[in-house]
Amino acid sequence: MDILAGLIQTAFLAGGVLALAALGEVLAERVGVVNLGVEGLMALGAMTAITTVVASPHPWLGFGAALLVGLGVGMVYAFATVVIRANQVLSGLALTYIGTGMAATLGKPVSGSPSPATFRPLDLGFLSDLPFVGRAFFSHNILVYIIFLVLPVVLHWLMFHTRHGLNMRAVGENPAAADAAGIPVMKFRFWYTALGAALAAGAGAYLTLAFVPSWSEGVVSGRGWIAVALVIFAGFRPVNAVLAALLFGFVTALGFVGQARNWPVAASILSMLPYLGTIALMIVPVLAWQRMRRLMAAPEGLTEPYFRDVR
Amino acid sequence: MSYRLQRLPVAKPSVAFAARIASVVLALLTAGLVLKLVGMEPLALAGRVLKSTFGSSFGLEDLALLFTPLLYCGLAVAVALRIGAWNIGAEGQFNLGAFAATGIALFVPGPDWALLPAMAVAGALAGAAWILMPTLARAYAGVSELITTLLLNFVALLLVYWVSTGPWLDPSGHALATTARLPVAVPEFWGIVHWGLPVALILAVGLAAVFAFTRWGYEVRIGGSNPGAARYAGMPVRRHLIAVMLLSGAIAGLGGMMEVAGTVGRLQGGISNNYGYLGIMVAVLARAAPLGTIATAFLMATILNGGIILQTQGLTTHTVLALTGLILLYAAIGDEAAKYRIVKLAKGA
Repeated sequence: MDILAGLIQTAFLAGGVLALAALGEVLAERVGVVNLGVEGLMALGAMTAITTVVASPHPWLGFGAALLVGLGVGMVYAFATVVIRANQVLSGLALTYIGTGMAATLGKPVSGSPSPATFRPLDLGFLSDLPFVGRAFFSHNILVYIIFLVLPVVLHWLMFHTRHGLNMRAVGENPAAADAAGIPVMKFRFWYTALGAALAAGAGAYLTLAFVPSWSEGVVSGRGWIAVALVIFAGFRPVNAVLAALLFGFVTALGFVGQARNWPVAASILSMLPYLGTIALMIVPVLAWQRMRRLMAAPEGLTEPYFRDVR
Repeated sequence: MSYRLQRLPVAKPSVAFAARIASVVLALLTAGLVLKLVGMEPLALAGRVLKSTFGSSFGLEDLALLFTPLLYCGLAVAVALRIGAWNIGAEGQFNLGAFAATGIALFVPGPDWALLPAMAVAGALAGAAWILMPTLARAYAGVSELITTLLLNFVALLLVYWVSTGPWLDPSGHALATTARLPVAVPEFWGIVHWGLPVALILAVGLAAVFAFTRWGYEVRIGGSNPGAARYAGMPVRRHLIAVMLLSGAIAGLGGMMEVAGTVGRLQGGISNNYGYLGIMVAVLARAAPLGTIATAFLMATILNGGIILQTQGLTTHTVLALTGLILLYAAIGDEAAKYRIVKLAKGA
């Protein structure tokens, strides 16, 4: 039982990174912009956060700084892909290279040393002391509760139960129709892409302030790409995205437990699990749930730049 | 007289070419500006890079050794792009090629003349095998090959790291994290430059010829630019897609074999050195033209070599990655900008 409680605890902690990044990607993709720069944004956010808390040891300051950097870089990305309408795959890859490269270069001074300020687990009184449940569900830092409870509920309500959310989805599905209905297509695309980038950088900050918690060049190691894949698996829905991230946190946690308990499998092999699991989750649903296909489909206008005069 | 912008569906080749050049120049200027701002002397640094790269035959040989894997990876990505597939996994296929070639060299006894071709075939097959699952997933289930090929990179890197520090670790005890030196090597023809380079050049020319002059190459190109029309014309688009993606993996795998058996001499973690990712740049800048990749791989090799030379100045190889990202971003913007032309409107129009 103790192992299971520990597994669930680690699953939330490890899944939080993917969940936050995936929620950001859901926002961007719902308005029709795919952002393949998540990996680079996470690296930038992680580096920004730890550099900030080294200068001034307040975790919220580091997290806020990462969000701001993500928003700024996201606005550059949105400018390229939404305003200039450059190819989204190329621009996204470029963003991954720029972010990974810049973070590794600028993060050199803080490389390897533990973060001086972290998000500590909250003490929820008697809840945290409960056997099993206390360790599994009530021993987390504040970000875990925000990422797994607050954000998905708020985003689901916003996207599926408000006029604003309907407009947002319309922009992603059929920008020409949305434009004709008077919805400001460019504004929606620009700001939700930038906001999604901010969340991706926030996920990076979560890595260095709550999960690892230190900076090294390879700290992101493909988590950004896994987040992008999760969004597809989750059918572009915030609640599903968070649940899928939790499932992946569980796979990662299995690897950790295996290493800690000296399972007779090499650590490198256990580290492959999340990547292989992601690929399986991308392939299996398409084959297994043919009927779900329409429900889980990508927004119709995804990756299509919108030109008013050639519609 | 007034002017307005007009957008063409496809850019004129000459304008597109000029945009490519402009994107590289602008990125270098931006990087220089950043270096200037942090107090370095960009012109002096550039002079140093050019002098130590092109000023001696040692520098040119180093450049050739960087150029070779970049050309293999660039060709791999370019071939896949021709049919509209994104092979972001050249990095992983390169590793698998090196892995398979090492396995043959270390554990199969035989004369050199038989071992080297066997290693090349094994490398190519391993590269193709590594892209097999993403290929089938794309061809039969429509799963984005971009993400699946990329995720397999991490698995390949872990695999090579694991075997070279574990089961295949050099038994002599001299090396900490590599296999033993391979008993065979790709022969050299100029200083330290081995035959992997001319083979890559022949491959580039051969692929260019196939795409330009054969029916298969034509059908692949049509399948990439307009799959609907290709299917309507009765072309087996799915079969071509599978063949081309496997070929792409095989080329990257062959590159990995040449790297381990020609340049490095033993298998070690990180042997791919980002070549697969930089290969995407090589292919994109060349607009997926095999002959063009020769020029862009040369450019990328020069930039990469510059990064290595400047390491003493506090820059890292990651700085090079950031710079290539900048080139790619400008290139993406330039692609779009190249589609516009300025039209003069007559008075009163």
